[in-house]
Amino acid sequence: MKEVMVRPERCMGCRSCEIACAVEHSESKDLFAAVMEKPTPQKRIYVEYVPEYNAAIPMTCRHCEEAPCTTVCPTKALKQDEITRVVTHNSDLCIGCWTCSMVCNYGVIGRQKEARVAVKCNLCPNRDIPACVEACPTNALVFIEVKKLAGVKRTEAALKLARGMQGKAL
Amino acid sequence: MEEKNPQPTICPYCSLGCGFYLKLEAGKAAGIRYMPEHPVNEGSLCPKGNTVLEVLNHPDRLKYPLKKTETGWERIEWEEALDLAAAKLKGSLEEYGPDSLAFLGSAKCSNEENYIFQKIARLLGTNNVDNCARLCHASTLTGLGKTLGTGAMTNPISDLACSECIFVIGSNFAENHPAVSRRVLEAKEKGAFVIVADPRMTPTSWLADLSLRLVPGTDVALLNGMMHVIVSEGLVDREFARERTKGFAELENVLQRYDPETVSRITGIPSAEIIKAARAYARAGTAAIVYSMGITQHISGTDNVTACADLALICGHIGKKGAGILPLRGQNNVQGACDMGALSEFFPGYGKVGDPEAAGRMQALWGAKKLPESPGLTATEIVGAAGKGKIKTLYVMGEDLVNSHPDSSRVKQALENLDFLVVQDIFMNDTAEYADLVLPAASFAEKEGSFTSTERRVQWLEPALMPPGEARADLEILFRLAEKLGLDFPYRDAGEVLEEISAAVPAYGGIAKERLKKDFGLIWPCPDAGHTGTPVLHTDSFMTPDGLARLVPVEHRSPAETPGPDYPFLLTTGRTVLHYNAGSMSRRCKSLLKREAELYVEIHPADARTMEIREGNKLVLESRRGSTKATARLTERVSPGVLFLPFHFPGTNVLTADALDREAKIPEFKVSACRIRRG
Repeated sequence: MKEVMVRPERCMGCRSCEIACAVEHSESKDLFAAVMEKPTPQKRIYVEYVPEYNAAIPMTCRHCEEAPCTTVCPTKALKQDEITRVVTHNSDLCIGCWTCSMVCNYGVIGRQKEARVAVKCNLCPNRDIPACVEACPTNALVFIEVKKLAGVKRTEAALKLARGMQGKAL
Repeated sequence: MEEKNPQPTICPYCSLGCGFYLKLEAGKAAGIRYMPEHPVNEGSLCPKGNTVLEVLNHPDRLKYPLKKTETGWERIEWEEALDLAAAKLKGSLEEYGPDSLAFLGSAKCSNEENYIFQKIARLLGTNNVDNCARLCHASTLTGLGKTLGTGAMTNPISDLACSECIFVIGSNFAENHPAVSRRVLEAKEKGAFVIVADPRMTPTSWLADLSLRLVPGTDVALLNGMMHVIVSEGLVDREFARERTKGFAELENVLQRYDPETVSRITGIPSAEIIKAARAYARAGTAAIVYSMGITQHISGTDNVTACADLALICGHIGKKGAGILPLRGQNNVQGACDMGALSEFFPGYGKVGDPEAAGRMQALWGAKKLPESPGLTATEIVGAAGKGKIKTLYVMGEDLVNSHPDSSRVKQALENLDFLVVQDIFMNDTAEYADLVLPAASFAEKEGSFTSTERRVQWLEPALMPPGEARADLEILFRLAEKLGLDFPYRDAGEVLEEISAAVPAYGGIAKERLKKDFGLIWPCPDAGHTGTPVLHTDSFMTPDGLARLVPVEHRSPAETPGPDYPFLLTTGRTVLHYNAGSMSRRCKSLLKREAELYVEIHPADARTMEIREGNKLVLESRRGSTKATARLTERVSPGVLFLPFHFPGTNVLTADALDREAKIPEFKVSACRIRRG
């Protein structure tokens, strides 16, 4: 199962993902109409700037297992798909109690501007690759299986180690 | 118009030439689709690219020709508008001579449009034709021209992925050319060492292995210091220096004075870091230099560029994959506008004005009796001359002088002083407000033509949409204007103009419309129809007459204006990721404005403390030229004593000075003296 994985060291804080996300989740999917649209199209990914560490970190739903947001939701508006494990939100069932937002460890459950309903990442069901990932100029966001990303990171780490062993590290 | 949906197109913002698709619905652009197969951006887009539809479909788009009357703007017919423009141009010409006319071309317009634009100017008898490259990379043309023989990026962007060391100086590509970071990060994954020299701590510095925070305006000292270390530690590529360059002895002589301790005192960088940077760059198997306006926008701009070239040359880091010098240009067609001769001292293809042979070639091609012989005024000089009443009629195609030139108040006075000003644009920008005649132009998605990206990649853009209202493609406007001026142009469309360009510009010799439409274009030089383009320059010889590069020693010079008791802060300017240049496009995008709404000034928390300034306070900034308001943003990104203003909002260039580089005539946007108070 592919997931949106973040490589925070690559994020430059350009917020292209936020814009792509909002457009993808608009009625029209057209950016020009989207900015005029009501309810206002809303992003579900948040680039957090951490000045103390000169870093920008994209925060998005991790689609956790036994996701706390789904287990606390009193109306089952938040549900985890049994096969894909994607956590989705049904705004028709949402009562705006914000219990989900209170228990989310990542603070990635927001609020629709005009209505008392929650807004969160649904991994772009109509696309092969989520919009945020496709827009990212630096590959800080990747759509990949955990196993595969771990493999990529291992290769990178092994390369650095090998270079160090040969005295080539700078 | 060919019907393709989605229609492939090229981003109109920076110079990278990123590709994407426009999704069309009922003749309107209804969305974008990413283009993962594009060699530059591999599908990704920065926030500006992502919001480009907000520009295309904006209600502010100019739709009709407008004439200024005593009661305000009056809508007129095209016929009347062009008759008026032609009559005013001819009137000035007859009464005051050809040099009373001036033309500012556009780095946002196609090669064909700029070619025709400068041809009109020159056939009317003046070389007063220039473009905004004067404000960003004129010093690249002069600096790389005299050392390497040609002022262009030597290697494609994708090459960075195979560099072992990347030395970035005066470029914040993470914000301004985001897709470049993709390649730099790729190189880093393979173990590349990245050095970033910048007075500010930018997102580009975040990915550096070594960050050098130099005092603004001390780049030559740093570069000479690194070369001093390289020479004294025997890290020079002797064979390369001997076989392929001239002038090593003179350079070595000057470098003696730039020992790391002296350089450390000038630049504020610890000497150990200068040595470390020099060693990393020189020892790498392949090393690239990436620079941008932090190098070029100084009174020592040409010298800064020259020093970058010297550094690459003595290490032999040029003419091969993964090496080279990569000046990242600003606009989607600034390289092309220069190639096309929209420059006061160059004909198309960089034949020097004043060289009888170059003039002869153009004369024969154009069937002209005589072409003006002395170089014209540069963009910055045109403003000065207009202020003095020497320029009577100015024709501006797609540029906002008021916000992009230094010392805005003086620019406004100069524009008011003109007898007649024509502005051809897609929006009523702040310069158009001073115009007598405003002509509505088509945007990138509404016209066809070729565009040359920073990596010399010439791509063909096809029209996807009809322009709004009566707006017309710039090329069409110029064709009709030329006709009214009595110039006999045989072309019917951009493809035919490109045919003449390939005869005029040797590097475009093999470039034709049909070839460009395939495989993401061609990288010049492409001298003939069978040639497949030249991604890497200078592999065997340099573009100088004898094929050898020149090592030119340069000395450190202080900026024109330094902080003093009256103006204690050093003000530097630059860009942010969410906006673009003078802002006439990006400041109309709601999604961008939502994230960056107004002019802010970065100030170090220590300075803010002593002046009792808090985050979000409204400040008044004053320089010797004027004053402007900005919101305080407290950050250690800037050093104490330094202020930073983005130049995307009106106000920044009210403060900057018009001190010019001697050779390139580029203004020193990067250093001015300034003071602040609570507003």
